[in-house]
Amino acid sequence: MIDYQYLIDYFEEFPFLVQLVWRISGVLFLAIVLLTIYLKAIRYKLRKKENEHVTFKKEYEALLVEYLYAESEDEQVSTEQQSIILKLKNHLPIKYKRKMIISVLYNLMNEVSGEMAESIKTLYYKTGLIDYALKRLKNKNWYVIAKGIGELRRFKIEEAHGAVIKFIKHPKNEVRKETQLYLVNLFRFEGLSFLDDLETPLSEWAQLQLLEVLQKFDDQQICDIKPWLKSNNNTVVLFALKLAQIYNQFEVKDILIDLLSHKEKEIRICVIEVLTNMYGIEAKEILKTNFNELSIEEQLSFFGLLENLVVPSDEPFIEKHIFHKNFEIQLLALKILKTINIDKFMGLDKLPSNKEVPEMFNLVNNV
Amino acid sequence: MDTSTVNLILKTLHYLFFIYAFSAILSYIILSIISGKETINYLKKKSFVNYKDILSSTMSPSITIIAPAYNESLNVVENVRSLLSNHYVNYDVIIVNDGSKDDSLEKLIEAYDLEKIDYIINEKIKTQPIRSGVFKSKNPAFEKLMVVDKENGGKADALNMGLNISTSKYVACIDVDCLLIEDALQKMIKPFLDVTNAQVIATGGVIRIANSCVIKGGKLIDVNLPNNLLIQSQILEYLRAFLLGRMAWSRLNGLLVISGAFGIFDKKIAIDVGGYDTNTVGEDMEIIVRMRRYMEEQGRKYRVTYIPDPLCWTEAPDNYKIFISQRNRWTRGTIETLRKHRKIGFNPKYGSFGLLSYPYWLIFERLAPIIEVVGILYFVVLIVLREVRWEYAFTFIVLAYLFSVLFSIVALYSEELTFHQYKKKGTGYKLVLLSALEPFVLHPFILYAAIRGNIDYYFNKNKKWGEMKRKGFTTEGA
Repeated sequence: MIDYQYLIDYFEEFPFLVQLVWRISGVLFLAIVLLTIYLKAIRYKLRKKENEHVTFKKEYEALLVEYLYAESEDEQVSTEQQSIILKLKNHLPIKYKRKMIISVLYNLMNEVSGEMAESIKTLYYKTGLIDYALKRLKNKNWYVIAKGIGELRRFKIEEAHGAVIKFIKHPKNEVRKETQLYLVNLFRFEGLSFLDDLETPLSEWAQLQLLEVLQKFDDQQICDIKPWLKSNNNTVVLFALKLAQIYNQFEVKDILIDLLSHKEKEIRICVIEVLTNMYGIEAKEILKTNFNELSIEEQLSFFGLLENLVVPSDEPFIEKHIFHKNFEIQLLALKILKTINIDKFMGLDKLPSNKEVPEMFNLVNNV
Repeated sequence: MDTSTVNLILKTLHYLFFIYAFSAILSYIILSIISGKETINYLKKKSFVNYKDILSSTMSPSITIIAPAYNESLNVVENVRSLLSNHYVNYDVIIVNDGSKDDSLEKLIEAYDLEKIDYIINEKIKTQPIRSGVFKSKNPAFEKLMVVDKENGGKADALNMGLNISTSKYVACIDVDCLLIEDALQKMIKPFLDVTNAQVIATGGVIRIANSCVIKGGKLIDVNLPNNLLIQSQILEYLRAFLLGRMAWSRLNGLLVISGAFGIFDKKIAIDVGGYDTNTVGEDMEIIVRMRRYMEEQGRKYRVTYIPDPLCWTEAPDNYKIFISQRNRWTRGTIETLRKHRKIGFNPKYGSFGLLSYPYWLIFERLAPIIEVVGILYFVVLIVLREVRWEYAFTFIVLAYLFSVLFSIVALYSEELTFHQYKKKGTGYKLVLLSALEPFVLHPFILYAAIRGNIDYYFNKNKKWGEMKRKGFTTEGA
């Protein structure tokens, strides 16, 4: 006791600043001790969770497989199935277990098809998991809403359309993206109608995701993309151009020709590339006439078009650009010339000006 | 000088050191708070991302991995295999053999069935000439691979050669000895495609230390904590830097450096600025500063982003000699870059880049070792003059030490809650213990290397890269 008093007296004799710093040091020391204990607890919890994950996964997988094979012909839901539903229902209030059941259900749904897939969907309804997902849509946190929409998409819950569509203009990008994916996954091209009045940019990442979803379906007959090609939202135009290219939308060729004079360079370049794929021979003369006004990237894209659609009458134009200042254009010009007039190409070897490009000439010659 | 003048000088110095230390600590606290928030935000957003879509999409943008190799014969075949096993549909790999004196090229030719092809290079950036030629594989399984054998010109020159050859929209510049996780490209390309309100010019990834980790077939199988105290300390240091620092700078759009070990760049911008600078040893930092400066001067909206996932694993120096040589080079690289672009510093024309990022790097990175050494010398002088007030000195030393330990533990805490890579039992205890030891086993050597770097920069201009001997990763069964 006396010792403590001595220490306290000693401490109180220190200047104020020293006392303050010791107090802060004490707090830091306490924080170190607490964080170390907490760290140990977290590591233990994480390890335990990993083990539980494996155990529960096995348990639920077995239950679900049992459920699928317990289907009886006369009853809609057999007694065995009812007991499994009840068992699962009891686990749902625990968030971690609920997440695990959803994950197992979804993985299983991806592995089966037809009646079995429908059966899993029924289970999703009967267990009440759908109610949890719909409840998430009412949450005020954006990530909870997005998770809910994602789940409804994965289980293909078309009935939730009305509740989900409300989020198509949500201020948070992730929520909008999940809504878009829900619509396209469930309603295919019809789901793309959100593009009609989309004001926010559709990122390239989102475009790729939507295209990947659409390409999983066999539909070759797509919706009318003309309004999107005329959209004021440049990202919508770019997305429509991708659709035009993938689904060979020859009927929009006229609009594509008009888009060659779009104010956005990225769109103009993309249009040339789409026209190349669509055999857009009509674009050739327009681009030839404006060639000098085009940016280098557009010129390069145009030469890409010429490489595919060249005819002998293009020779004078090509010849004019075999010494173009841009390396790639020069290389393409030489390649194209070789395809349409090999004699003229070989004749270049004798021209004094070819000294600037002997290596390129030799390379094209050897191809 | 009379006593009052000496006292005034001493008092001023006291206050200057105090203000510096206080602001450094405050900046660490602020940065770690921002980092924490940003990491949580990143993880929340990541939970919605389906990377499989980009994996299979033929419309995904093209990426070229450029990996310079110099005398990498020991691991080059295995490392290239790792690069070729990335899960991304639209990518290719260019290995630039930068005038290696060993049999790297021969090993690659044999392992990947390479043959020389006719190729002309569009020399948008001047580089050293081709030596043996350009090689492609006869085996369709390795169609993504191209090997370029050129005269030695250094890492920057080799990367420039890759930039000249690449036909992709984006380039991933990496060290050939790094191990990329299979989904690294999918994750790293996302910011380029996802950000719509600015142009992303570069994305950096976290670098993790692979010493003692088990690698099989170019893939990371098992993460282990090495026994070597120096490597352990570097692991802790990397965790602190990447988890508590860079994420914050990414949020503030103030990243000045993307590790040379792994970063993805918009190729057009990288070429427009003239590629990597071959006259600096800090080419990874310099190109980012130059790209940013270019975008600022053009008045274009841009971002340099950062992905906190552990995507790239590399071998760290396992002895003090090589470690000091590496840190010496990093110091010289920082000095060279900051000097070359000094126009940016405190210049409102460059916005937060000039008023926040540059000054921070100058004051808390460039000048930190100098101020620390001056502080130590000053302390010694005070001891000699018997002017030390020990109750103050001891108190502040304890405070600084406890803060450094706490900061490391926060980094460990952050690691556990996010990526939880060191899962094995007993590792957590070792890492906590390491937090207490690291100020003694690593920091003094970092300080020494930084001072040597300063001396070499000003008095030994001919010093270039320095030594970095690789031992190779631990492969399963080895």
